[in-house]
Amino acid sequence: MKHICIIGNSAAAISAVEAIRERDKDSRITMISDEEYPAYCRCLISYLLAGDISEGKLALRPQDFYTQNKIDLVLGKKVVKLDPKKQRLTLADNEKIEFDIALIATGARADFPDIKGINKEGVSGFRTIKDAKDCLTWAQFAKVASVLGGGLIGLKAAYALRKKGLDVKVIVKSKHVLSQVLDETGAAIVQRHLEHHGIDVLPDQDVAEIIGNGQVKAVKLGSGKVIGSPIVIVGKGVKPNIELVKESDIKTEFGIITDEYLKTNVDGIFAAGDVAQCFDLVRGAAYINALWPNAIEQGKIAGANICGEKKAYAGSLAMNSVEFFGLPIISIGLKKTEPGFEALEFIDKRNSIYKKFIIKENVLKGFIAIGKINNSGVILKLIRDSIDISSIKQDLVSDSFSYARIIDLVGKDEIYTNIPAY
Amino acid sequence: MKRLYFDVTKCLACRTCELVCCVGHSVSKDFFQALKEKKVQLPRIKVSLGKGKTMPIACRHCQDPKCVDACIARALTYDFEKKEVVHDKDKCVGCWMCIMVCPYGAIRPDEEARQPVRCDHCVEIGEPQCAKNCPTKAIKYQEDNKK
Repeated sequence: MKHICIIGNSAAAISAVEAIRERDKDSRITMISDEEYPAYCRCLISYLLAGDISEGKLALRPQDFYTQNKIDLVLGKKVVKLDPKKQRLTLADNEKIEFDIALIATGARADFPDIKGINKEGVSGFRTIKDAKDCLTWAQFAKVASVLGGGLIGLKAAYALRKKGLDVKVIVKSKHVLSQVLDETGAAIVQRHLEHHGIDVLPDQDVAEIIGNGQVKAVKLGSGKVIGSPIVIVGKGVKPNIELVKESDIKTEFGIITDEYLKTNVDGIFAAGDVAQCFDLVRGAAYINALWPNAIEQGKIAGANICGEKKAYAGSLAMNSVEFFGLPIISIGLKKTEPGFEALEFIDKRNSIYKKFIIKENVLKGFIAIGKINNSGVILKLIRDSIDISSIKQDLVSDSFSYARIIDLVGKDEIYTNIPAY
Repeated sequence: MKRLYFDVTKCLACRTCELVCCVGHSVSKDFFQALKEKKVQLPRIKVSLGKGKTMPIACRHCQDPKCVDACIARALTYDFEKKEVVHDKDKCVGCWMCIMVCPYGAIRPDEEARQPVRCDHCVEIGEPQCAKNCPTKAIKYQEDNKK
């Protein structure tokens, strides 16, 4: 009997398993994860920390998912080595598992910068249930928390800690928050909003040292300023978990290199999710957009191809949607113009509303929406499908812009044209 | 499986569909009562202006729904039996990922409730009120003619 091994147990892994079981009820499937929990909604850990939801709400699938799908689930064990020639996995405890087909869906982990004292107790990434639970424990006894990094993960942690009533300092290396996701104008609106809700943003700051005797006591900035803070959250980006293939012939660059079928350079070995390097539709080059919707889509496609289909993956896109204290923020594709690009903007500072469209040769390459986010998905479609927008360019920023304006550009839509007779 | 069809040539943009949608999702299901309720419902269908035409836009319950894939809370799921996208309010955290990915702009935010608003075929009543009440019969709720 064929043995499919899935290394990982989150978005890409789960959607791959479902795609496999849709097609193949018989093969043996083993899922291996170094986390202790059945699959959970990773993006919800900030809501757990904030106290918005209970732990029970985190389950990604019903309890009987693994038995229903006849999956051998191995939790709390790390795969340290994948040997493509011997088709064999080695676990941290030296246990060996042989496979016929493997899917690498090991995801990514918080990237810890090289700062003195970063390994002290009280410093955490913000990616797993464990991270959130650690923070919850620490937060009971803390008045101040520091967040290193003003990216989405850092700000989500900051938001949650603030909701817990802590005094939160966000220490940002760039000039503004969300520098990977927003332009300066957009970031200024978000920053003002965060500060209005009691989050202290410190831009243009380096962290020199994390001070404490085993346990974190304070963060020392490059400027010499010391912030007393028993909690330090590191939100400085993520690193794909590719170490298991380091000694093998499987090719890596930023992550594990995949072809359009999400296969690695070795037959029978696939990769999906935050670990997989795929084609980026906007950049037009290989990249990792380590995001939940991309992981789900990749898992689905990898699963189909594991079953022998030839389903191509068009590529991934940077896309983020987040809300802080009632202010919705969506960012898709590029956020800044390059030479030869044009930008359309609408701004209403008083009401914290901002829209920006980034256009290259009449094709949308990026979109930012703050405050008002209706119809963002229509814009995503225009970006994803590289639709020529010259005929609707003047309509884009309008409040009344909708799918109705682009229906002539997207081809036949059976809901509107193919009306069945009574 | 039934779905909503829209005859664009018959739509006069009277927005009756929006009105009856709000009533259909009110507590009382009664027009005059609905206006007095604590929360006036947002319409899940919107008449939108295109180039030289108006057309109602509502969730079409895609078979390969982007919103379900993007939902970080597993609040949106696809019910394979009913062939409908179903939303679980209790699980939803209001992150608006669904709004970011719906290619039709058929999901809108209820910012106050922190919940997305989208067509559920008037599940509480059992029949979409827009199709029932469209004065020009531009909206039809009938069997999918393909599958």
